[in-house]
Amino acid sequence: MSITPLVHIDHFRMDFGKKNVIRDLSFEIRKGETFGLLGSNGSGKTTTIRALLGIYQPTQGTLHINGREFKPDSGMKLGYLPEERGLYKKESVIDVMVYFGRLKGLDRVTAHTWSLDYLQRVGLGEKDKTSIDKLSSGQQQKVQLGVTIMNNPDLLILDEPTKGFDPVNRRLLMDLIEEQKKRGATVLMVTHQMEEVERLCDRIILLKDGVSRAYGTVKEVQDEFGNLVITIEHVGELPQSHLYSIIEQGGGESKVEVVAEASPTQILQEIMRAGVSVGKFTPTPKSLDDIFVEIYGSETSKD
Amino acid sequence: MRKHNLGNVISFELVRTMKKKRFWLGIFAMPLLIVIVITLISVSDSHSKKTTSNQKNSHFSFEYTDVSGMVNPAIVATLKGTQVPSENAGIADVKSGKVDAYFYYPEHPSKDAIKVFGKEKGVFENGKYSSVAQMILQTSVESKISSPDVSAITRGAIKSTTVTFRDGKAAGGVNSLIPSMLYLVIFYLIILLLGNQMLTSTLDEKENRVTEMILTTINPTNLIVGKVISLFVLGVVQMLVFAIPIITGYVFFRSDLNLPNIDFSHLVFDPQQMTVGALILIGGFALFTGTLVALGAAMPTAKDAGPIFGSLIALMFIPFYVFSLIASSPNAPIVQIFTYFPYSAPVTGMLRNGFGTLPLWQAAIVITELFVLSAIVLRLAVRLFRYGSIEYSRKLSLREIFSA
Repeated sequence: MSITPLVHIDHFRMDFGKKNVIRDLSFEIRKGETFGLLGSNGSGKTTTIRALLGIYQPTQGTLHINGREFKPDSGMKLGYLPEERGLYKKESVIDVMVYFGRLKGLDRVTAHTWSLDYLQRVGLGEKDKTSIDKLSSGQQQKVQLGVTIMNNPDLLILDEPTKGFDPVNRRLLMDLIEEQKKRGATVLMVTHQMEEVERLCDRIILLKDGVSRAYGTVKEVQDEFGNLVITIEHVGELPQSHLYSIIEQGGGESKVEVVAEASPTQILQEIMRAGVSVGKFTPTPKSLDDIFVEIYGSETSKD
Repeated sequence: MRKHNLGNVISFELVRTMKKKRFWLGIFAMPLLIVIVITLISVSDSHSKKTTSNQKNSHFSFEYTDVSGMVNPAIVATLKGTQVPSENAGIADVKSGKVDAYFYYPEHPSKDAIKVFGKEKGVFENGKYSSVAQMILQTSVESKISSPDVSAITRGAIKSTTVTFRDGKAAGGVNSLIPSMLYLVIFYLIILLLGNQMLTSTLDEKENRVTEMILTTINPTNLIVGKVISLFVLGVVQMLVFAIPIITGYVFFRSDLNLPNIDFSHLVFDPQQMTVGALILIGGFALFTGTLVALGAAMPTAKDAGPIFGSLIALMFIPFYVFSLIASSPNAPIVQIFTYFPYSAPVTGMLRNGFGTLPLWQAAIVITELFVLSAIVLRLAVRLFRYGSIEYSRKLSLREIFSA
C-alpha cells in the first residue's frame, strides 16, 4: 500500500439551504487501502461520497480524486455502489450489465463474457435473460455489485454494501471486496457493520454532527477511545473503584472498562483486596462496536 | 470516450424502446385505425353511391302533374309514368295504393319545391321518390339545351385556375401549401406520439433509482443528448411506419379507396418555404423535447409531471383557435404574440410559413429564438437531471435548481 493519497478531502462543508450537514471535514484515503467511513444515520456519509463524486456541489472546501475533481469522463476507473440501489428494472440482467460495461469503456464481447462469468459465480448463471424486476432484492444487489466492479476499478466506493444480504451472501460479497483489495483497488466503504470494518478496513473515520470524531487505523481509533475492557469471572461482588467502571454485570461474569492510566495489575490487586475470588481475568482492547455505541449510542437509539 | 458513450446511450435507448411491444402497438394502432376508417369510408361511400344510383334508376309506378311545362313527356314515358290533371287526384291514387308515388311540378320550380307523395318505404328508401322526381325535371331541361357546354355549365361543371404573384414571381398557392404543411403534420405526430416517452425518458433513471450509477459513469450532457437523439430516431421510425400504409394505399388502392388523384407534379417545393419549415420543425422539436426531458428530471413521478405536460400539449393546439386570423391577418396582435411566444411559435410559424405570410426576417427571429431557447432548455434539463434526479421522491423548487 502506498501512502500517496488517492482521495483528498480538505475543509469540506455542505449546507442544504439553512441546514448544515457537514461542518468541516478533512481526510485522505491512500492508494491501495481499504477505508471505512463510519457514522450514524444522517451523519453525512452519503453526502460526503456524493460530493466527492460531483453529484453534489460542496458549499466549501475541496474534494479531489487523483488530484482533481471527479468527472465521469475523466478516464478514472471508478466503481460505485450507491446506497440507493437500482437498475433498469424492465431490462434483462445481461443487457443492463453489458450497457454499463460499455459505458465504463469495455467492448461488447468483453462486457458480455465478464458478465456471464460473474453471474455464474454468484449463482445467477441461469438468470442472464431475466428482467431485473423478476429478481429478488438480494439477487438485484448481486447484479449491481457486478456492474460496480466489472471494469476492475482503481477506486471502489461501496455505500453500505451488505445492506439486505443474508449471512451467506454477505460472506460472498466480503470475498469479492477482498479480491478487489488484493488486486490493488482502493476501497472506500460506508458501513454500520463493525465486523466488516475490523475484517477489511485499514483505516477509518467516524463522523458525527458533520465533523470527524475519530480518524486513523482501526488500532489507533481503538487506542484513542479504547481504554481496555477486562472480562472477569468472579465470586463475590466487585467493589466500586476509581480505577475502572463496570459496563456489564451478571451470572458471575463482569465487563469493566479500565479508567485511563490505571493498569490491569492494579485493578486485579484491588479486586482481590476486596475479598473477591477471581477465576478468569482477560484484558482486551475495546471493540469498534463498543466505540460506535459510545459515540452514537444516544442518537442511534432515536433513529 | 465521450462520443463512444453517446453512441452507447443512443443504441441502448433505441433497442430497449423498440423491444417493447407497447411501442409497436402504439405505432401500428394509428395506421391501422386510418386503414380501418378509410376502408369503412370507402365501403360506405360506394354503398351510398350505389344506393343513390339505385334510387335514381329504381322502378316504381308514379303519376305526375306538370304546371311548369318543363317536364318532357317522352322521358316520363320511358319511366312508365302517367300524367294526372290535379294534385288531389294524384294524392288520392297514392293513398289508395293505385300507384307508388305522385310528383307535383309547380309553375316555378326554381322558386317552389317539387311536391312528392309516396308509399311509406322507410326513411332511406323514401329518398328514391325525390331522386326520380328531380332527375326527370333535370333531364327534361337538359334535353332542351342543344349546346353540350351550356348543358355542362348548368350542371355546375365549371373549372378555374388561379395564378397569384409574389415579388413579381408566380406564387405556388395551394400547391406550395401542401408540402410545407407536411412539416406541421410531422411535428404534431412526433410530439403527440413521443411526448410521453420524452417525459419519462429521465424519469426512468429516477424511478429505477439508477441516477447515481449513471451520473458517476457518464457525463449527463451525453446522456440527455443521447436520449434526445434516440427520440428523434424513434420519431423517424414512426413516421416511416405511418407513411408505408398511406403510400401503399394511395399507390395501389387509390381508386378502390376513392382517394383523389393528386397530381404531384403540380406541387411546388419552394426552397425558402421548405427550408424555413424544416428549421422551425427541428427547433420546435428540440424545444418541446428539451422541456419535457427537463420536466421529467424535476418531477419525482410521471403522475406529478402530468398537469404541466398537459399544459404544454395544449399550447401546441392554441394557435388553431386563431386559425382564421393566422390565415387572413398575420399582423393581428394575437397572431404576432403566438408567432413569438416560444411554445406556440412552432405551430404558428409553420402555419404562417405554409400560407406564405411569414416574412423571412420574422422566420429568422422565430428560428433563432427556438434554437437558442432549445439550447438553454437542454442545458437546464442536464442541470436538473444532474442535481434534481438524485432527489428521488421530491419535487425541486426553482430556487434549488438555480442555486445548485
